[in-house]
Amino acid sequence: MYAKTFGETTCGINGEEIIVEVDISNGLPAFELVGLPDASVRESRERVRAALKNSGYKFPMTRITVNLAPADFKKDGSGLDLPIAIGILCGSGQINAEAISDKVFVGELALDGGIREVSGILQMIIKAKEAGRKEIFIPPGNAAEGELVDGIEVFAPESLTKLAMHLEKTEKLAALSKRKMSIESNCVYNVDFSDVQGQLVAKRALEIAAAGGHNVRMVGAPGAGKTMLARRLPTILPPMTEEEALEVTKIYSIAGLLNRKQGLILERPFRSPHHTISHSALIGGGSIPKPGEVTLSHNGVLFLDELPEFSRMALEVLRQPLEDGFVTISRVQATLTFPATFILVSAENPCPCGFFGETDGVHECSCRIGDIERYHKKISGPLLDRIDIQIHVPRLEYKEMKADNRAECSADIRKRVISARELQLERLQGTGLHCNAEMSRREIKRKCHMTLQAEQLLQKAFLALGLSARSHDRIIKVAQTIADLDGSEVIDTVHLAEAIELRTISKG
Amino acid sequence: MHARATFGQWGEDEACRHLESHDYKIICRNYRCRMGEIDIIASKNAEIVFVEVKTRKTLKFGIPAEAVTKAKQTKIHATALHYLQDNHQYFKKFSFDVIEIVVEGDKFRLNHIPNCF
Repeated sequence: MYAKTFGETTCGINGEEIIVEVDISNGLPAFELVGLPDASVRESRERVRAALKNSGYKFPMTRITVNLAPADFKKDGSGLDLPIAIGILCGSGQINAEAISDKVFVGELALDGGIREVSGILQMIIKAKEAGRKEIFIPPGNAAEGELVDGIEVFAPESLTKLAMHLEKTEKLAALSKRKMSIESNCVYNVDFSDVQGQLVAKRALEIAAAGGHNVRMVGAPGAGKTMLARRLPTILPPMTEEEALEVTKIYSIAGLLNRKQGLILERPFRSPHHTISHSALIGGGSIPKPGEVTLSHNGVLFLDELPEFSRMALEVLRQPLEDGFVTISRVQATLTFPATFILVSAENPCPCGFFGETDGVHECSCRIGDIERYHKKISGPLLDRIDIQIHVPRLEYKEMKADNRAECSADIRKRVISARELQLERLQGTGLHCNAEMSRREIKRKCHMTLQAEQLLQKAFLALGLSARSHDRIIKVAQTIADLDGSEVIDTVHLAEAIELRTISKG
Repeated sequence: MHARATFGQWGEDEACRHLESHDYKIICRNYRCRMGEIDIIASKNAEIVFVEVKTRKTLKFGIPAEAVTKAKQTKIHATALHYLQDNHQYFKKFSFDVIEIVVEGDKFRLNHIPNCF
């Protein structure tokens, strides 16, 4: 007998519907699984068999053929256990065939018939809804994600028995109630900008970076507070929109990094990979590509501490996502595109010993010129060219450190950032862009207006500093953000001067 | 004969009876060669049928048909080939069947699975 059910798997960051066909015919006991299953799917045979037996059902001792359609792409993940089990129950007449039409099943089976959680549920539910299915059954461990999607009934049965009883209408399950996606809920960070004494230049630079979505590079002696500053950047970023939050949650769902209770991720991600990271861990990889750090920091911050210690390969692969906002990873199995729009924040020392250029009279750089050069050579020009804001973070003086005046707290800075972002959104309406850093030359020409004096200043700086065309554009973008923070409609000389200074300070 | 062998022999007798009552003609029983053994070779409508008989008293260790593993199947294939060559019957239509017999009290249940490997 033949039965057809629907399952789900993931492909990139999206769900993919799988039609699970089960045919039970006379013959020697055999279980054939076709349709490019990978190891975890092929092993489902043993789990399904034990789960059916231990739930009080019969595993038919005849020839069972299971086909996973479409047959041309590789299926992975254990979430297909449940549709296979339901298909077998249906094909052997143990449950009613009509009971399963238009329903989708996802879940890994435990040997006792329990249903275990799988990763990537959120996109599967979204996909099932798009495909017009009426009901989806997910593991109870993934219930938090099930509450997020409207327009489809989501059930989270604990076990195969409960699910079968629901399908047979002997004991109905209650559908999960929908949770309102409340973006407003205030995320609590356990760090704050008021913890940082002094460092006004760096704080200002980070505020500008947050307001315009610009990349930042911090150079300074060890212990100056670069890492401390970077960790506080997410606290002043504007809250995510519903669309952004859903995107981030989808990425974390597929990576299996989602907090099971939380559901939607509301905080902007902050990722700080160790400098020994490989290039494929950074941009994503694997025989079926999985998202890397750049994708995990999508809509958030990617912090690279000790930038010159990263392998050259790892740094160079960053160039393309920094420019495009996405990465495309090609492997034999699949070619996938992951979003990767993030603010890059990097920290480094001016030389291997860390004290080059220190003027306090106590520390002296002990590095040879060649060592310093080699240290800096690690970071290529094209990469530096993509970093809009480059600042020097000096060591604090004793007076500054012990100062009593409380520094400004994150909430206040964030208010200014949010109003600057609102101005940008208004100006960029219709372009599909969100912040100044995303502007291309075309938008800069059309949307950014400068006073005459500012124009003259830019011309002088271009000649004197030998700027590239890209640097020129980037300076205007940063100047625009500074003007936005100021609430000014046009870019004035002060805005432009600050932007030029932020770009060139580390070179001088 | 050993008790277990007698039991198997009894199962094969029952299988033969079943086949004959369904218009099969028994050609040979317990055909042996160096590759292995075939329990029953029968024919019906110009088709030659190689039958493996499995008899069980209990289902505690799985159903009888489960015991016809891949290795056993390969063995039967080889033996069947040997038989066909030995008897100069190259172009015959043929099939491999399994007959499983489960004893339940004084009665038994017989299941004939035709053309199954």
